[in-house]
Amino acid sequence: MIDYDILISGIGGQGVITLGTILKLAALEEGLEVFGSEARGGAQREGVVTSNVRYRKYDPADKIPMERRVCSSVIPKGSADLLISLEPLEALRHAVYLNSNSVVISNTFTLLPVHVRLGKADYPPLDEIIERLRQFTPHVHMFNIDELSLNNFDDLRHVNVICVGLAAALANLPISDDAILNVVKSELPGFEANKRGFELGKSEALAG
Amino acid sequence: MFLKTISSGKEGDIILCMGNEAVARGGLEAGLSFLSTYPGTPASEIGEVFVSLKDEFPHIYAEFSINEHVAAHGAIGASWAGVRSMLTMKHVGMNVAAEPLHFLGYTGVGKGLVIIVGSDPGATCSTSEQDDRWYSLHTHIPILEPSNIQEAKNFTVMAFDLSERFNMPFIINTPTRLCHNIGSLRLGAMPAEPPAPGKFTANPSRYVNLFAGSVANHARNLDAIEKLREAVPTLGLNRIIPGSAKVGIISSSINYLYAMEALDLLGLHDVPVMKIEMSYPLNADYVARFVAPLETVYIVEELEGFLEFQIKSLLYDKGLRTDIRGKSLFPATGELNCDVVIDALSQELGKPRPRAVEEAEEKAAELLTDLPPRIGAFCAGCPHRATVYSLVKATGRDCVFAGDIGCYTLSSLPPFEAYDWVTCMNCGLATGQAMCFVGEDRPVVAYVGDSTFFHSGLPALINAALNGSDVLLVIMDNQWVAMTGHQTTPTTGVDLNDNRLPKIELPGLLRSLGVKYVRTINPYKVRDTIATMKDALERKGLRVIISRGECALQQDRRSRRHPVDYEEYYEIEPSRCQRCDECYLEFACPAIRERQENGDKIYYIEDSLCTRCGACADICLNSAINRIELRRYKASGGAI
Repeated sequence: MIDYDILISGIGGQGVITLGTILKLAALEEGLEVFGSEARGGAQREGVVTSNVRYRKYDPADKIPMERRVCSSVIPKGSADLLISLEPLEALRHAVYLNSNSVVISNTFTLLPVHVRLGKADYPPLDEIIERLRQFTPHVHMFNIDELSLNNFDDLRHVNVICVGLAAALANLPISDDAILNVVKSELPGFEANKRGFELGKSEALAG
Repeated sequence: MFLKTISSGKEGDIILCMGNEAVARGGLEAGLSFLSTYPGTPASEIGEVFVSLKDEFPHIYAEFSINEHVAAHGAIGASWAGVRSMLTMKHVGMNVAAEPLHFLGYTGVGKGLVIIVGSDPGATCSTSEQDDRWYSLHTHIPILEPSNIQEAKNFTVMAFDLSERFNMPFIINTPTRLCHNIGSLRLGAMPAEPPAPGKFTANPSRYVNLFAGSVANHARNLDAIEKLREAVPTLGLNRIIPGSAKVGIISSSINYLYAMEALDLLGLHDVPVMKIEMSYPLNADYVARFVAPLETVYIVEELEGFLEFQIKSLLYDKGLRTDIRGKSLFPATGELNCDVVIDALSQELGKPRPRAVEEAEEKAAELLTDLPPRIGAFCAGCPHRATVYSLVKATGRDCVFAGDIGCYTLSSLPPFEAYDWVTCMNCGLATGQAMCFVGEDRPVVAYVGDSTFFHSGLPALINAALNGSDVLLVIMDNQWVAMTGHQTTPTTGVDLNDNRLPKIELPGLLRSLGVKYVRTINPYKVRDTIATMKDALERKGLRVIISRGECALQQDRRSRRHPVDYEEYYEIEPSRCQRCDECYLEFACPAIRERQENGDKIYYIEDSLCTRCGACADICLNSAINRIELRRYKASGGAI
């Protein structure tokens, strides 16, 4: 039986839905059942975007009847095995889905909300965001993923695939690297660079 | 997103797709020939699938109609002419389509007619979260409620068969959390042959509704619904998951999944559950058999108590007085989810919530209550931002802002907050044009996008012209239905592949309707725009300004296909910048950002976001924003 929930959060335009799609397709490659939900918001830009990715493989020999083994599309509170956030404040905003075994992988590159720009609210300092996340789970991993992508590829297009590499190294995903790379090859343009991005994520995870 | 597999996938293939795409696949498997829709989130992608498959399935006609009223009539026409047809829209589209839909029960269908309604609990992409299911109590159109992506496809196929068997349209109600969800789908078989072309057969006793004939059709409509109601147990719809407990659950749609998962997490594996798949009409005997042995039944449904209302009435007639609890426990507003169901059932049944939920909530109450909100904003380079900025400057806010529905609704949020109301399509001009007649002496400025204007704004404009209303209308013509994913409008003119499209010339149209003051402006020329707006504000009568600037996302996409032979960019010269905040706070383009440099805070333009619209350079009072042009090596001329 496999029961693994991933929540991805970020801001419109960062690629949250693409990242979720890669993780979902890779699970189909592995023969898992895939459920999930995307909250896109009404706006094209700047708003909060989330993707729920839920992997299931039920065991017919289980004592609970199969017809009661149902997976909804939205992760319940305290149930995410992995939270990937492309923006640190958005990691914290979704911390209610964490438990003490959850793994958090978050970008440290911040994007200020309109209210902060206008001086109507304060953006918490990064140290404090990390400190608060650690009260939900000790397994908090922070990386400046924007900088990693810029320094290595001269663009921000590889942020997503670096995230997948980080998750593959840190989060005990029930999907193999091969399944992930097969999907990256068929779905994203420029396989060689994306593969390097994936490997970069894995090596950064081990270094950091 | 996954178009290839939706159209080319074979029976038995498991693919990943969105709920809307699963519905579209259902239409393909059912052999539909016609689709009409007005784009509306969360249901927009269904129409997009068919429009983009035109070459692959030349026998399928699909259109983005001018509004839902026309779209509904189109789908009815196709069905009467003998082909399977589909009508899709968002929940509030039902209000616009309501008139033709109220006649469908009287007339019946020709070939199968299936109506997809994307509902929006939580109003995540809408101005209301109305529960459209109530319509069926007076339109008498049956409703199917799929709970997941697989059922969204399967029910669509089934609905076409049922529509023909019972000679009535069928509605499939899909909430945002199903329309937009991405998950796995097992494909069914596609038809071996394309369907036969249509031919209309006159049927005056059904289609011509007048006097006694109309009364006879009303009776026929009520009779047909009763026949369907009786047939419910034989249709293979609705399901019972047995259990030995004295309490039970009735649920439908995605709420069934929330209820089942909540029962699992609470360890309540003996609670019987009835899954309603057709929520109108319900069969009294079927419901009563499930309810009779139980002491209490919880009805888990999102939005209002549509099932609860019907079930209580049916059980009353059966003499059953079982305790039925629905909206007294589950909120009638906002989205439902597993957490809400866990909370309610745990309290009702005295079962403790899972430890992880308790802990997460305790910590969240302590650590997550003071986070800054994050709201949507206009994209970098959006022509609407420039237009609204100019409107605020030209009016000094001493006016009535009659807003409308589209991307520009974002101007109701900070920093602009230039919106006095937003309700339904064309609420701006239609409401605003009346105010001058009752003594409102401030200027009334209505603004609307091109698609919303063509949807239902023309009658309001003609009304304002004929009655001599004193109102300024700004039509923000960005040439696309941008907010729902860039469907075409009557002013699109050319698509992303440079194909010419038929288009309407707005200035000529407006003049022919009797508008004497028509000006067209380029919103990125901010100073000129403000001057034109001030001129218009000084005059009386009906005035229209057309603000013409293509959606920046589309312009950007096209420019990537046609690289120009020079490059330009904009930069803020720190030594000239006075940090007056005009570009950063008042205009608030997301490409203008702040950073630390040598201990000072400076504004800069993030080049990867900038679309080179140039509006900020026009705004800057200190000439600190410069356009830099780099000539590239030209192969033809050879000059550098």
